[in-house]
Amino acid sequence: MLSWAINFTAAMICIALILNLWRMVQGPSIQDRILALDTMCINSIALIILYGINMGTGLYFEAALLIAMMGFVSTSALCKYLLRGDLIE
Amino acid sequence: MLNDLIWIPLLPLLGTLVPLFASRFSRSACAFLTAGLPALALVLVLQLAPQVFEGETVRQSFGWIPQMGLELAFRLDGLALLFTLLILGIGLLVVLYARYYLSEKDSMGKFYAYLILFMFAMLGVVMSDNLIQLWMFWELTSISSFLLISFWGHKTEARKGARMALTITGAGGLALLAGVLLIGNVVGSYSLHDVLASGDLIREHAAYPVILVLVLLGAFTKSAQFPFHFWLPHAMAAPTPVSAYLHSATMVKAGIFLMARMYPVLSGTELWFLIVSMTGLATLLLGAYVALFKHDLKGLLAYSTVSHLGLITLLLGMGTELAAVAALFHIINHATFKASLFMAAGIIDHESGSRDMRQLNGLWKYMPYTATLAMVAAAAMAGVPLLNGFLSKEMFFAETLHQDSLGSLSWMVPVFATLGGVFSVAYSLRFIHDVFFNGEPINLPKTPHEPPRYMRVPVEILVALCLLVGVLPTFVIGDLLYTASAATLQGAVPEYSLAIWHGFNFPLLMSFIALAGGIAVYVNRKELFQFQAQFPENDPKLVFEAIIQMIHKQITRFMELAENGSLQRYSYMMLSLAMVMMAKPLLDLNATAGHRPQIPVDAISITGAVLLAIGALATVIWNRQRMVALVALSVVGLIVSLMFAKFSAPDLALTQLAVEVVTVILLMLALFFLPQTTPKESSPKRVARDLGIAAVIGGVIGTISYAMMTRPLESISTFFLENSKTGGGGTNVVNVILVDFRGFDTLGEITVLGIAALGIFKLIARMRLYMPASDGDGRPWSKDSHPLMLSVVSQSLLPLALLVSAYIFLRGHNMPGGGFIAGLITSVAIIQQYIAHGVDWIKARMKLDYQLMIGSGITIAALTGLGSWFFDRPFLTSWFDHFHLPLVGEFELASAMLFDLGVYLTVVGATMLILANLGKLTTSERPVLKEHD
Amino acid sequence: METWLEGIVALILVFGGAFLLIGSIGLVRLPDIYTRLHGPTKATTLGIASLLLVSAVVSSVLQGTISVHELLITLFLLITAPVSANMIAKTAMHHDLPAWKRTQGQELIEPASRQAAPDDHQEERDTKLP
Repeated sequence: MLSWAINFTAAMICIALILNLWRMVQGPSIQDRILALDTMCINSIALIILYGINMGTGLYFEAALLIAMMGFVSTSALCKYLLRGDLIE
Repeated sequence: MLNDLIWIPLLPLLGTLVPLFASRFSRSACAFLTAGLPALALVLVLQLAPQVFEGETVRQSFGWIPQMGLELAFRLDGLALLFTLLILGIGLLVVLYARYYLSEKDSMGKFYAYLILFMFAMLGVVMSDNLIQLWMFWELTSISSFLLISFWGHKTEARKGARMALTITGAGGLALLAGVLLIGNVVGSYSLHDVLASGDLIREHAAYPVILVLVLLGAFTKSAQFPFHFWLPHAMAAPTPVSAYLHSATMVKAGIFLMARMYPVLSGTELWFLIVSMTGLATLLLGAYVALFKHDLKGLLAYSTVSHLGLITLLLGMGTELAAVAALFHIINHATFKASLFMAAGIIDHESGSRDMRQLNGLWKYMPYTATLAMVAAAAMAGVPLLNGFLSKEMFFAETLHQDSLGSLSWMVPVFATLGGVFSVAYSLRFIHDVFFNGEPINLPKTPHEPPRYMRVPVEILVALCLLVGVLPTFVIGDLLYTASAATLQGAVPEYSLAIWHGFNFPLLMSFIALAGGIAVYVNRKELFQFQAQFPENDPKLVFEAIIQMIHKQITRFMELAENGSLQRYSYMMLSLAMVMMAKPLLDLNATAGHRPQIPVDAISITGAVLLAIGALATVIWNRQRMVALVALSVVGLIVSLMFAKFSAPDLALTQLAVEVVTVILLMLALFFLPQTTPKESSPKRVARDLGIAAVIGGVIGTISYAMMTRPLESISTFFLENSKTGGGGTNVVNVILVDFRGFDTLGEITVLGIAALGIFKLIARMRLYMPASDGDGRPWSKDSHPLMLSVVSQSLLPLALLVSAYIFLRGHNMPGGGFIAGLITSVAIIQQYIAHGVDWIKARMKLDYQLMIGSGITIAALTGLGSWFFDRPFLTSWFDHFHLPLVGEFELASAMLFDLGVYLTVVGATMLILANLGKLTTSERPVLKEHD
Repeated sequence: METWLEGIVALILVFGGAFLLIGSIGLVRLPDIYTRLHGPTKATTLGIASLLLVSAVVSSVLQGTISVHELLITLFLLITAPVSANMIAKTAMHHDLPAWKRTQGQELIEPASRQAAPDDHQEERDTKLP
């Protein structure tokens, strides 16, 4: 039952990722693309967690954690650039 | 322990540091302390001298890379002893002399440090028992001589002269290296011991002419032989103690030394005779002739040195054993009288303010004591009986009579030799008469007077030696000359007599002809000067500079062609070349797909591939909309790290993620300073060309990847997998490779990283950049510099991020992670604070010195490596063990963790040094270079 | 793993996956940037939290000890998601992006792109306190 659920969820996340990509390509504004990237990060975390559940290992936990951290940093850096141009002031 | 041979060069090497510290004391104390270690080395040499006199060759060697014939090897035989005594003895006298010569303005510590460095290099040359090592010291003499000649760097001629000397001797050094490598190739060893024993082997080898020419190029450039002689007069821009030491007594003798050293190996052939003796003869005549016309005191002495070096070269070239003995004898004599003459010239310059012989006249009245000394030395130079120059010159004349290699033209050699002697007497006479007599001084800047007492002492000692050798040759230097000859010839020493009186014979007659002719020439000098004035002035410096500039121009043209600043062009050329190189192996590959069973495709992989492909395409398509391209690039990075994770490379995934975000931030920091508007499109033709290349390269790389992935691959990774736990004490193979198996690589890499970061910091500090006031669409920037929510949340996330980084660092040895990734995470966490709070906020709260971090990181890593030496293990051997503590339980300690800490610190320091300073450019905390001096 | 636990876990998993999908559908379907922000920030965060819960439960059961490190990611995401959304909204307003006719609070967009943030001088005021 769990393995079925994992497969089903994986399929849903894949669709979600493709939808994010669509928004990333489509735009229209740069904010839309950043938002799409941010969402893509979260969906990637989901994919990695799912992979971990499937394999029964905690080996991928750090990757997930790091995507969460780096996703936030890059989103805020991109926004700061759009707002101020100057990242470090 | 001090009996070891290695201490003789090592003491001066340590002595290089002494003046740098001693220069804060008084001038005399500085000179005294500087002389200490070389004096100790001289004592060591004298202690070993009796052994050498008994015919023994003292040797000592330390293996370095024995497999490649590289070793640190020293020898002290007669030849080396002779030169060591010259180098150390005259060196010490020069130290004393320079104490009075240098003015208050000159940096005494720096001068002495260079001088002792040169002494070390020169000792290394003459004591090397390995040809590669000899060459290394040889180049070091060129470099230290460059530093010494350019000591008065504010003068143009000093800089130009130094550059010329370095270019000529350095180029000769490269030729010598080639020759040495060829010799090593022929003999199969670089050890001088082996090389000296295989003279016949080398002489009969087909490569002998090439070896000979290359080695002689090295020797001739160093010893200022025609046509490379012109650097020596220009090197006279150096302070006079340097001229006395380097350009008369020691460095220019290095070339002679090399010929003497290789004498048993290279001499004895027709080719040797022709090249060496003809070059020597030409140099002898040219130097003696030109010296007469130089108005500059040091210029005269410089050309006279050229002439005497030619004389020694000619002697060595004659190929007879007696001639070699005479050559060695003249080396000693020339060193003593020429060094004292240079010192005397320096005294005259120092006390009268001029070196021009048209101004200097009648100094006898003002400085009779110095004048007497200089006159004795000049007489020795002219070859007046009862002085040392007479003896060796007579031996020289005798040898010219005995050779017959030129066939029926052999009579010309003694005639030319006598002619050289005539000019030699003439310029010596000019030195004496013009300077000390011949009327009154004309327009001298100061009234000449005797120098300080101790400035004269070195001259006195040297002149006394001239006299002693001249009167009691056998008693004073008989033994030394004999052992030196034995070492040079590597065989039986011929019978020779050092007596002053050999009866009335041809050499004596030649000496008298030279004396009488010299006086005649000098008396009639007016006519000669007029004759010489008809020739256009041909300044070798101008020719040399013109050649240098021509080369520079050609290279610039080539550089402009190859390196025009267009990145497209570079990648176009590089990729085309890669394509050409890949074509052949790919054409030989008969099938694209291999036999390895393929992994079934799943939906997740397909999704990943689609994301990756479209992300990459989007980056290319929107490459002119920088933000869109950045976002698309981030998608690519994200998917790549997902792929790493999926194909069981979690370490790579972590690294990729961290590097990705650092790169994006770096790009944005740099993009801010670049024009905010879109640059114009390339021409359609160029777009088509680039598309074509990209398509072909993409296709080729795709094919290669596919071909590789479908074939079974045997790699080294199994070894690492099997040994990582037992050998390195960790289960994370990637980390164990980084800090243990290939720790040396990592040490090198973090060093490079640190250097690169410092270099970038330097570059940033020089930058003055334009800050755009609005973004590309003309919108002014927002006024909210630090959004409140971002600041607050970022601050609270910092401890969390540092915790993660510490966690990843600590578990790195056994689970994915390690110092590099942890370092990047820490950097990203700190950068986030910079972004959210700004520089001022950080400055008040975090006292981080990034340079210090880099330095301590590399130091920790290196010390960890050195630590294994205390346990008699090779560098960077790692150590680990398991311990048990109550409460904590079983845990492991490994020296690799300390090494990893070094990596961590360097990575944090380097990343932050670059990013934070690039960011700080817009703030009041911008990095600036502090101007020293 | 016991069947009842597996059932619950599977249910939460599918629930989480569904929310992730819904969030992304929202990202695609909603009419302007301001409304699109809702999808990823709310639905997706709930979805990922559910998945992390499942992961925690599954690894706790498999390893026999309580696994809490998934909580770290959850915490992290719950803290950062609103800030990301806030920053994106700020830039959108700064760029004066057009809003759909039924999006609320449109009157704030235009002034926001002109004005300084209200708390621009926060730090100065802090330092003035005794």
